[in-house]
Amino acid sequence: MVRNFKVSYREDMALLQNRWQKGWLGILILALIFVPLFLNRYHLSILNEISIVLIGALGLNLIIGFTGQLSLAHGAFVAIGAYSSGLLTGNLAIPFLISLPLSGLIAAGLGLIIGIPALRLKGLYLALGTMAFGFVIEYILQHWDLTQGDLGMGVKQISIGAWTIKTQLQYYYFFAVLACLFVLITSNLVRSKIGRSFIAIRDRDTAAEAMGIPIAKYKIIAFSLSAFYAGCSGCLLAHYNRWLVPSSFGISLTITVIAVIIVGGLGTVLGTVLGAILITSIPHIIVYFVDIVQNSYPALSGVVVEIKLGIFGLVIIGTLLFEPAGLVGIYQRLKVYWKTWPFKY
Amino acid sequence: METAVDVLFSGFSMGAIYALVALGFVLIFKSTGILNFAQGELCMIGAYICYYFTTELEVPYLLSLVAAIALGSCLGALIDLLIFRKLVGEPVHTTILVTVGLASILVSLTGLIWGNDTYSIQSPFIGKAIIVDEFIFSEASVATIAVAVVLFILFILFFKKSLLGIALMGTAEDSDTAGLMGINVKKMRMIAWILGALVASVAGIFLAEQSFVHTGMSHIGIKAMAAAILGGMNSIGGVIVGGLLVGLIESLAATFLTDLALGGFHFGDIKDVTAFVIMILVLMIRPHGIFGTKEVERV
Repeated sequence: MVRNFKVSYREDMALLQNRWQKGWLGILILALIFVPLFLNRYHLSILNEISIVLIGALGLNLIIGFTGQLSLAHGAFVAIGAYSSGLLTGNLAIPFLISLPLSGLIAAGLGLIIGIPALRLKGLYLALGTMAFGFVIEYILQHWDLTQGDLGMGVKQISIGAWTIKTQLQYYYFFAVLACLFVLITSNLVRSKIGRSFIAIRDRDTAAEAMGIPIAKYKIIAFSLSAFYAGCSGCLLAHYNRWLVPSSFGISLTITVIAVIIVGGLGTVLGTVLGAILITSIPHIIVYFVDIVQNSYPALSGVVVEIKLGIFGLVIIGTLLFEPAGLVGIYQRLKVYWKTWPFKY
Repeated sequence: METAVDVLFSGFSMGAIYALVALGFVLIFKSTGILNFAQGELCMIGAYICYYFTTELEVPYLLSLVAAIALGSCLGALIDLLIFRKLVGEPVHTTILVTVGLASILVSLTGLIWGNDTYSIQSPFIGKAIIVDEFIFSEASVATIAVAVVLFILFILFFKKSLLGIALMGTAEDSDTAGLMGINVKKMRMIAWILGALVASVAGIFLAEQSFVHTGMSHIGIKAMAAAILGGMNSIGGVIVGGLLVGLIESLAATFLTDLALGGFHFGDIKDVTAFVIMILVLMIRPHGIFGTKEVERV
C-alpha cells in the first residue's frame, strides 16, 4: 500500500500526491511525445483539434464550472481571438508569438466589458445577456468590411522567427505543448486563492461576500480569464484552419464547448481533458461509421452535421440527468470500486 | 404616411408573434422556474408539422392547424415527462443547459426528417390582401394579429376566471404551499409545458405564414426572449407590451438603418440583431423588465 497520510499542508496541496501519479504522468508524457511519430496525418489532425478545443474548454470551465457564472458567449470570444490574430498577423504584420497573447488579451478586454454589466446579472439573466452578445458579435463580423463576412478571411501560417510550421506533426508538438501549459496553469490557478474564491462564489455568493471575498473583482477576473483562454484557442484555430468564416463561431461552437465541460465534469481540470478528447472524437467516429454503411445508406453522408448536433444534445442532457459529475464522476466511482473490492464498506 | 403605416403594421404583426413566443416562455418560467431555450425550436416543430399536414398529406388547412397544435402540445408534455420531471430542484444552470441540449436535439431531428430545404405552408392566406384606401395589408399578418389578440384574451380570462388557471398561478407563486393546499403540482408543471408548447406552435405556424418554414426559424425563440425580458419575465401583461415594442423597434430599424454604412460597416439585415441589442440594453439598465418584480434573495 502507498503511504497515505500527510504531515504538511504543502504535501496536501501537491498536484501529484504519490509515486503512482508521478509514474503515470511520466508514461503519459512519453506517450504524448513518441506515439504521434507513428500516426498518420488524419489522426494527428484529430489530436490538434483536441488541443485547441481543450484550451477553449478550460476557459469555459473556469467561468461555468468553477465560478458558476453561466456564459453562453464563449463562441464569440473564440471568434474575437481568431479574427484579432488573423488581422494582427495579416494586416499589421505582427509576429505570431506576440499576436497569440495579444489576441487573448483583446478577447479578455472584451470579456471585461461584458463582465462588468454581468456583475448585476445572475443565472438565467446572465445566460441571456451573454447569448445576445454572441449573436451581436457574429453580426458584426459578418457586416464589417475588415473581416469580409461570409466571403471568409485568409490567415497566415504560424511562423516563429524564420521557422514556419508546415506539417501536422509540427502543429501537433506546438499545440500539445501549449495545451499542457494551459492545463498546468489552470490546475495551479484553481488551487490558489483565486481558484478558491471562484469556488466560493459558485457555491454561495452571498456567503462568499460575507466571508470577505470581493465578488465583483473575482467575477471580473473569471470573465476575463475565460475570455483570454477562448481568445488563445481562437488564435490557434485561426492559424490552424487558415480560413475564417463568422458562421463557424456561432452558437453551435458554444454548444460544443459546453458539451465538453459537462461530459467531462463541471469544475474539474481532468474532466475537461477527458471531455475534450471524447467530444472532439464523436464527429470523427460518426464519419467513420457513416463511411462503413455508406453503400447501404448513401443518404447518411449528407446528414452528418445533424447527427453530430443531435448527439451533442443527447450527451448534454444524458450527462446532466444521469451522471451530473461527468466522466470524472465515473472515473472516481471506478477507482473506489477497485480500491474497496471485493468488500465495500 | 405610407411608410409610417407600413412600419407600424409590420411591427405589430411581428410583435404579435414575439408576444406569443414570449408568452410561452413566461408560462413555463412562471410555473416551473425553467428558462426554456428550446422555445424557438418548439415553434419550428409546430410549423414543420403544419407544413407536413397541409402540403405533404394535403389535409384541409384548419384541420392540419388543429393537428399541428395538438401534436406540438403533446411534444411539450413529453418533454416534461421525460426530462424536466426528473430535474425538479436542480440549480438554474443545469436546467438552462438541458434546454440548450434539447434545442440542438430538436433542430437535428428536424434536419434529419425534413432536410435543410425551405418550405411554405399551403394556407388560404397566400397572396391575399385587404385593401383599405391606399394601404395594403396582407391577410396572413392580419390573421396573425387577430389570433394573437384572441389567444391573449383567452389566456387572461383563463388565469382570472378558471379554477385551473388559478391553480397554475398558485403553483407559480409558491409550489410548496400550492402542494399543501391540495394542488397537484406535478400536473400543473405538465400543464404549463403543454400551454407553453401550444402557444409556441401557434406562433410558429403564423410565423411561417409571414415567411417560410426552415430550420433557421428557431432564432425567433431567442429574439422573443428580448420581448419577455423587456416586459418582465413574470408578467403576462408585460409580454404583450414587450413583444409589440420589440416588433416595432425591429421594424423601425429595418426601415431606416438597413442601407446605412458607417466606415466599412454595413447595417444590412440589422433586423436580425435588433432584438439582441434591446435585450443587452434592458439587462444592463433594468434586468427585471418594465412590469416584472425584482427578485429578492433569501440567505
